[in-house]
Amino acid sequence: MVTTLVQAVINGLLIGGIYALVSIGVTLIFGVVKIVNFAQGEFVMIGMYITYFLSNQFGIDPLFSLLVSMPVLFVTGMLIQHFLIRRVLGENDMPQIFLTFALSLLLMNVTLLLFTANYRTVHTWYSDESIFFAGLSIPVAKLIAFTVAMCLSGILWLFLHRTDLGKAMRAASQNREVAMLMGINPNWVFAVALGIALALAGAAGSLLMPFYPAYPMAGQVFVLMAFVAVVLGTLGNVVGAFVASLMMGVAESLGIQFVGADSGLIVVFMLLLLTLAFRPSGLGARRS
Amino acid sequence: MKKQDDKSNSRRGRRNFLKLAGGSIAAAGVYAIPTISRAADTVNIGALYPVTGSLAQIGEGCVAASKLAVEMINEAGGIKSLGGAKLNLIISDVQSDTTVTRTETDRLINGNKLSAIHGCFASALTLIASEVAERARVPLLTGSSSDQLNKNRRYTFTPFARASQFAETQLQMSKLVTDKPKVAVIFENTAFGTSTSNGLRELAPGQGAEIVLFEPYSAGFADASPLINKVKASGANTLISVSYLNDLIVIVRTIKQVGLNIAINGGSGGFVMPDFYKNTGKLAEGLQGVAHWSHDMNDDAKKVNAEFQKRTGNFLFEYAGGVVAQTYLIAEALERAASADPVKVREALTALDVSSGYAAMCPGGKVKFGPDGKNIHAHPVGVQWQNADLVSVFPQADARAPFLKT
Repeated sequence: MVTTLVQAVINGLLIGGIYALVSIGVTLIFGVVKIVNFAQGEFVMIGMYITYFLSNQFGIDPLFSLLVSMPVLFVTGMLIQHFLIRRVLGENDMPQIFLTFALSLLLMNVTLLLFTANYRTVHTWYSDESIFFAGLSIPVAKLIAFTVAMCLSGILWLFLHRTDLGKAMRAASQNREVAMLMGINPNWVFAVALGIALALAGAAGSLLMPFYPAYPMAGQVFVLMAFVAVVLGTLGNVVGAFVASLMMGVAESLGIQFVGADSGLIVVFMLLLLTLAFRPSGLGARRS
Repeated sequence: MKKQDDKSNSRRGRRNFLKLAGGSIAAAGVYAIPTISRAADTVNIGALYPVTGSLAQIGEGCVAASKLAVEMINEAGGIKSLGGAKLNLIISDVQSDTTVTRTETDRLINGNKLSAIHGCFASALTLIASEVAERARVPLLTGSSSDQLNKNRRYTFTPFARASQFAETQLQMSKLVTDKPKVAVIFENTAFGTSTSNGLRELAPGQGAEIVLFEPYSAGFADASPLINKVKASGANTLISVSYLNDLIVIVRTIKQVGLNIAINGGSGGFVMPDFYKNTGKLAEGLQGVAHWSHDMNDDAKKVNAEFQKRTGNFLFEYAGGVVAQTYLIAEALERAASADPVKVREALTALDVSSGYAAMCPGGKVKFGPDGKNIHAHPVGVQWQNADLVSVFPQADARAPFLKT
């Protein structure tokens, strides 16, 4: 019983690491640029396909393909900000919602057209391996994904707190108008924020590949949890989204284990409702 | 070598898509010019399959198979009792979505003069399409296995084994591995999953199998490990998973990761698809499943399989193979009805009794529909992945290779 419980928590934490990469991206974009990126899941999916083709064509291990998927998506993010999002930033939220939602539909269907609905998997030597101890099993691929996700989150935290650009980004997320008055170039800051957010999504895609198949709708599986985590951890709060993602992963896993395998999401949404009832601005909100 | 295969596969996929796009444009053309009366020289049959959305993968195979079947029938001289009338296939994309299925079925029936329809394969979609067809009085043939399709319907025909029969075969197969099967049943909470698993639960006591876990899950999960953790804790020695392809791939890989030693029966659906082996590789070897159709059944099946393989690069999987047989059943009914009128085609289908040729290409080799639209001779066949091929192993009469204990 205890073993089952501990195993359930471990399982939840491991997948929570992936949720974290996706939700940090969403919350970063929201915090800095003040738009909700509905297409975040699709960038995870693109990261998966990049990883698949690198592995399939050149035999590159998914871990090394991070070095390709992250820069490619970073640049994509900057371009999307420059050519698309920049043009719809304004008083009205509607065009922004339509833009990212349309982007999501477009990317899914273009992928479907180009690569068909076939599932694509990458098999690495560690795909089916696990570390066993005390009756517990920790899949190597998921452990690697979790560790890298933690490192990337840590690096992002350092970047936001230790570098001028990071501080500018935080300033912009706290108060965009005042930040601009202080001489921060919003276009540059926004573009970097988009780039980082998409690079994280790409990283999530690469890290998923050793144990999850790529297909055009794959992003949708991860984006729902990410949105819940973003709301739970307070919109725009990177640390909040990170903590909330791990919580979501564990809540889902415990829900499946002890309530029912079709009730994992019920537990997650209960948690969300309770949080919103008692702390309406999320767990990461500062007390005033 | 493998890489090249994959590349040509995706190219072929793209080509199929283009062909399909062309097909739908052609279909739209027929729709737009109703003044051209085609009744004398062609007979329209409709095909409803999801070629976009989450179920697109199986849907594309079904479309390829339905085109192949129509070509074969037309090349052999068409419908002789209608003066050699050619079949004209009208394909409609139901997009893996129940709402779209309703409108598309409606559009297909109202926009074209159809003699019969086959389609959907996914029970949740077929249940809706068959309601629409029922109201419009157009016969619908389907490979879907939900038993609900045989209730209160006069125009729905199911030539293959039902979900409840699948359950019986799966339980019998569990005894091939162990004398005392302790079965964990996990199933997606859809029409397909629920009906199949309910059959398992009802029949288990009679088959001497104990069900130690009975767990519905929401399809399309990010991580199977919580579910597999549950299976592990249940102490089961046999796992029956009622899932479509993606979930099943993740489940099988997760079982391997946690080092769980358990006999797996992947059922039908995604498990009997060529893509299952492509995505799991050696992990698939020895895994058991059930199918309503198998490409190694008889010489006719082998012949069609060879042609399908030439065109698509994959063996003719369960649903797609069934589509070929369904098309031939429609042709047979048209032949007997000597009319393209859907009501007359339905009458001919109810009177049909075939035991040879492509129309009878199903386990058991006989088709005769009962009053509920069920083929009274239908039964499933037990299959096993052996050396990258899916072979029939159960029951003895249908076995083409011995069952391997793994």
